[in-house]
Amino acid sequence: MNLDTIRQRSLLTQKTRQFFVDRGYLEVETPLLSPQLIPESSIENFRTELISPYKESIPLFLTPSPEIWMKVLLSRGSGDIFQLTKSFRNSEQISPVHNPEFTMLEWYKTGIDADKNISITEDLVRALSGKETPDSVKAPFRTMSMEEAFREFAGFSLEENLSEKALAEKNRKNHIPVDDDDNWEILFHKLFLTLVEPELPTDRPLVLNRYPSTIKTLAADIPDSPWADRWELYMNGVEIANCYSEECDPAKIREYYRIECAEKEQNSLIPVLTDPEYPDIFSTFPDCSGSAIGMDRLFAQILGMRNIEGVILFPLSDIVS
Amino acid sequence: MGQIKAGAIAKGTFLLEKDTPFIVTEREFVSPGKGSAFVRIKLKNLKTGAVLKVTHKSQDIVEEIDVEDVVSQFLYSDGESFHFMNVETYEQYEIPMISMSDMQYFLKEGDSYKVVRWDEESLDIKLPPKMDLIVTEAEDAVKGDTVTGATKYVKVETGLTVKVPIFIKQGEKIRINVETKEYQERINN
Repeated sequence: MNLDTIRQRSLLTQKTRQFFVDRGYLEVETPLLSPQLIPESSIENFRTELISPYKESIPLFLTPSPEIWMKVLLSRGSGDIFQLTKSFRNSEQISPVHNPEFTMLEWYKTGIDADKNISITEDLVRALSGKETPDSVKAPFRTMSMEEAFREFAGFSLEENLSEKALAEKNRKNHIPVDDDDNWEILFHKLFLTLVEPELPTDRPLVLNRYPSTIKTLAADIPDSPWADRWELYMNGVEIANCYSEECDPAKIREYYRIECAEKEQNSLIPVLTDPEYPDIFSTFPDCSGSAIGMDRLFAQILGMRNIEGVILFPLSDIVS
Repeated sequence: MGQIKAGAIAKGTFLLEKDTPFIVTEREFVSPGKGSAFVRIKLKNLKTGAVLKVTHKSQDIVEEIDVEDVVSQFLYSDGESFHFMNVETYEQYEIPMISMSDMQYFLKEGDSYKVVRWDEESLDIKLPPKMDLIVTEAEDAVKGDTVTGATKYVKVETGLTVKVPIFIKQGEKIRINVETKEYQERINN
């Protein structure tokens, strides 16, 4: 990290803030230390504790994204909000695109769905792009559905092969080793990561949307379809952003909690605490779309770099021997 | 033979997939949005040239094979196979060239190399990252051609054609990057 890049990063952060302030969003700060988290079976967390000489210590977790408390604000009528904050994820291999603590931008826009959030993201990328930004990073984005991507790059329709049995069969047909205990999510991702993701076009940013709703998230389902209304933004093959039409139905959120808590209890290295009452906030939750961007990844791409270490002042791999 | 977690696979690791030995040529950690952690690898079987792309869960157990580096003398190539001899036991190894024909450009008859062996099979030939080779064919620089950075092609003793600066002459020794097959510098004896 040289001095010039530090200045460029600072400028990009200021521009990001200005972009949302100019559009009427409220900037918020929510806890990084949280006594409970949203259960996410794909994420490992950092656990710490608040100690007191007179009372029992209280377990706290570093938030893996600001979602949990931003959604509380939305349910209390905050309107459009954004936050630029640190997020923490444990147990990920440090790599050109992973640092255990990273800067995340998260925003929620009320009254729109995930598709409408694509143009907001394009506008943000336009506002940040400069002379060093490669064409492969600049707006406009290309949009492709998961079904289209499977048809084009895996050579079969995902929609017609969504059963666990069909996915296992497609893995075998493509010489991808499968274990007997591979569940639906594993079988899907083995196909996606082996056959589809490496082939996604990189000449322009790519919005990959309409993920199978079998992957449990807090995105709303598209009615009468097997798809969830969510997308991921790729730049040069790297995941940069994800976006949902947010699920607002308390019953569906309770169901998500039930499944993910059970999954986490079984497989997590770091058990976390969740609040069983949390789904109740959705009784006053507005229709909205939420989007999150890994800013170290985005800044690196905007500046024509691939490795996030180029834009992080002190990457963990440098300060831990 | 040892069992390792897929998360510990590195480039150059030898693995047994479908009862066949492969070398890992590419490895990448991927955690898809809302998915668990995976390791995406590209494997190559050096005997058949077969390339395999697979994705493992990071927690998957894979079979790493314990290979042995055997110092062996390169005897000759017959166009289809390289022939080596173990310098201690005089045992001879025949290694098909199919997936490593480029190695012919770095093997010198009579020199010793490390042959990677496992279960009576030769899996790989280890080459140093850089090798010094003698230029056997080079045209003289054209008189008056003084453009900086001007280059020409020369042939070295192993038959490899390399792009070099214009001042390199026949009989000189040059250092070559084995992976990229590119000229690095002239070696003065």
